[in-house]
Amino acid sequence: MTISKLLVANRGEIAARVLRTARVKGIRTAVLRHSSEQEGPAHLIADEVVTIEGPTPVAAYLDIPQIVEVAQRIGADAVHPGYGFLSENAGFVAALEKAGVTFVGPTSEVIDLMGDKIRARAFVEERGFPVAPSAIEDDDPATFVERSRAVGYPLLIKPSAGGGGKGMRVVREDGALESEIETARREGERYFGDGRLFVERYIERPRHIEVQVMGDGQGNVVHFWERECSIQRRFQKIIEETPSPALTPEQRDEICETAAGIARAVKYRGAGTVEFIYAQDGSFYFLEMNTRLQVEHPVTEMVTGFDLVAEQLRIAAGEGLSAAQADIPQTGHSIELRICAEDATEDFRPAIGDILLLDEPRGEGVRVDSGILDGGKVTTDFDPMLSKLIVHGPDRAEAIARARQAVQNYVILGVTTNTGYLDAILAHPDFASGDVSTGFLAEQADTLTAPGEDVSDLLMAVAALSDERLVNDVMQIPEMHRKMGGWRN
Amino acid sequence: MRRIFQIDGDETECWLSHDGSGMILNTPDGAIPCRLDPTGLPGGHELRAKGRVQDVRLAVGPDATFVHMNGRTYAIGRVDPSERLAGNDSGAADDRIVAPMPGVVVSVNAKPGDHVKEGQPLLVIESMKLETSLTAPRDGVIAEMPFAAGDSFGLKATLALLASEED
Repeated sequence: MTISKLLVANRGEIAARVLRTARVKGIRTAVLRHSSEQEGPAHLIADEVVTIEGPTPVAAYLDIPQIVEVAQRIGADAVHPGYGFLSENAGFVAALEKAGVTFVGPTSEVIDLMGDKIRARAFVEERGFPVAPSAIEDDDPATFVERSRAVGYPLLIKPSAGGGGKGMRVVREDGALESEIETARREGERYFGDGRLFVERYIERPRHIEVQVMGDGQGNVVHFWERECSIQRRFQKIIEETPSPALTPEQRDEICETAAGIARAVKYRGAGTVEFIYAQDGSFYFLEMNTRLQVEHPVTEMVTGFDLVAEQLRIAAGEGLSAAQADIPQTGHSIELRICAEDATEDFRPAIGDILLLDEPRGEGVRVDSGILDGGKVTTDFDPMLSKLIVHGPDRAEAIARARQAVQNYVILGVTTNTGYLDAILAHPDFASGDVSTGFLAEQADTLTAPGEDVSDLLMAVAALSDERLVNDVMQIPEMHRKMGGWRN
Repeated sequence: MRRIFQIDGDETECWLSHDGSGMILNTPDGAIPCRLDPTGLPGGHELRAKGRVQDVRLAVGPDATFVHMNGRTYAIGRVDPSERLAGNDSGAADDRIVAPMPGVVVSVNAKPGDHVKEGQPLLVIESMKLETSLTAPRDGVIAEMPFAAGDSFGLKATLALLASEED
């Protein structure tokens, strides 16, 4: 089949990014917009903007019947889900299938399998791929505590249905095990409506390394190399890069081939990411597989030269993979920074506000995937990520230098963002040497949020001189009194 | 006319004057001759003060001025001292917990009349998919807990109020 009209069932920067590629491919496009949502970049790119309704904007983007109905009504022959929302919802895929609309992504069976961490882990382990020592509650609930103990400390308790770091607990001593299991169960029930747990050996100072894969659904799979995503706050990534500074060429081949092997085992269709925990001794374990395009996919595009959305659309149209493994290079170095509306000095508390001035960086090796417009509002309706700044350089040092320059030139006024914090990370000597783990931001919290030079006097001068009422008042005072100063009327 | 400027939680009261040749920012630590000229960029200005010539980008919001300078972004809160005297400003900040952003109450762990210790969790809120535990700013007695679990609230809503120290 060919895709002649694509509905992007998402919003923000990812909707804009998908729409751009679809346009280049000559596909007619449509995107969603909740009735209370302001205009974003995606609405300016799409040929058609369809209003959706719901008690909250998020609820509308999760409303399967409504979105399927939109796709049919506007005559879309395919739907791209972006990431988040319905991108890993097997029910959505099934509903589209029933309606005769192509889902740009894997089959509902694969989404189901990989969405259940325990089943996914068992599947991977049975086929001989590496997984961390573990105990799964469902295997025999009566002996779960005992089997957890046997895994050895430190260990990590995770909700079976989890994601995003919610409900995960590290246990370092036996005395805390049972109470931490109960806490994790309560959190799992609250966040995911599912209190089932599993326990894994906790890897000290681990790195997060993942591999981009692409499959045609017939068992042919290629990888697009790795990404390192160890820079995380609250278990969520904020800086990603490729290549990983941790891997030797042999380790890189091994981890990338392992990922491709896992994808081959499920006859994977479309773009996916296999995530691994990488230990300081070079061993690595399967963590999970994300069955969608990732937030951080642009770094892969920068070093390989491939447009991953174009590949997804190609595969969805049944045209297969566009390249053999040997034709996929990894050239230079790329870094992505997630620009978020949050206050890094206040435990990353999300910030809201009006965007009074927006000037995004440009230049050689600089790409901005933005979800905001000048004059827009940042609300609590959606995730605090506003945009992504991606840079490419001939080597890692040059990429870091470009990233620092670009993030320093990223002007967003009116809402607190993490640009200064991201720059502090890039400037840290341990980041420069690549000596990081997923605990890096927590370990270096004080260094990274240390106040810079005291420029209060300069800032107050700017605030005073740009305060029209203050300036007008001064200028209205007769000359003689002005000299006396301190005039009040 | 005077202004109180708030930077990173510190307040400084200033006034502006003119000495016949240029503007002067009068701070408790001294007088600073200063000058601000627009440049071609949106919000772009050149600041001259304290022997420096500094390119800045600025935007003036209703309660705060936002400045981008040397690769960093700053927010400078502006308060009119006369409004504060008239009681329009928050005041007695350590008596109340004010919502840092709109959100939903997840759980409430104290009720009016409870004696609480500084740092004791009073309620958990959720905003932008993140949970935050809000704690008592000082030892005291709860006077009001206006919200229950499941309630939503707006920016700057009072989420908990301690009885004032004199009571």
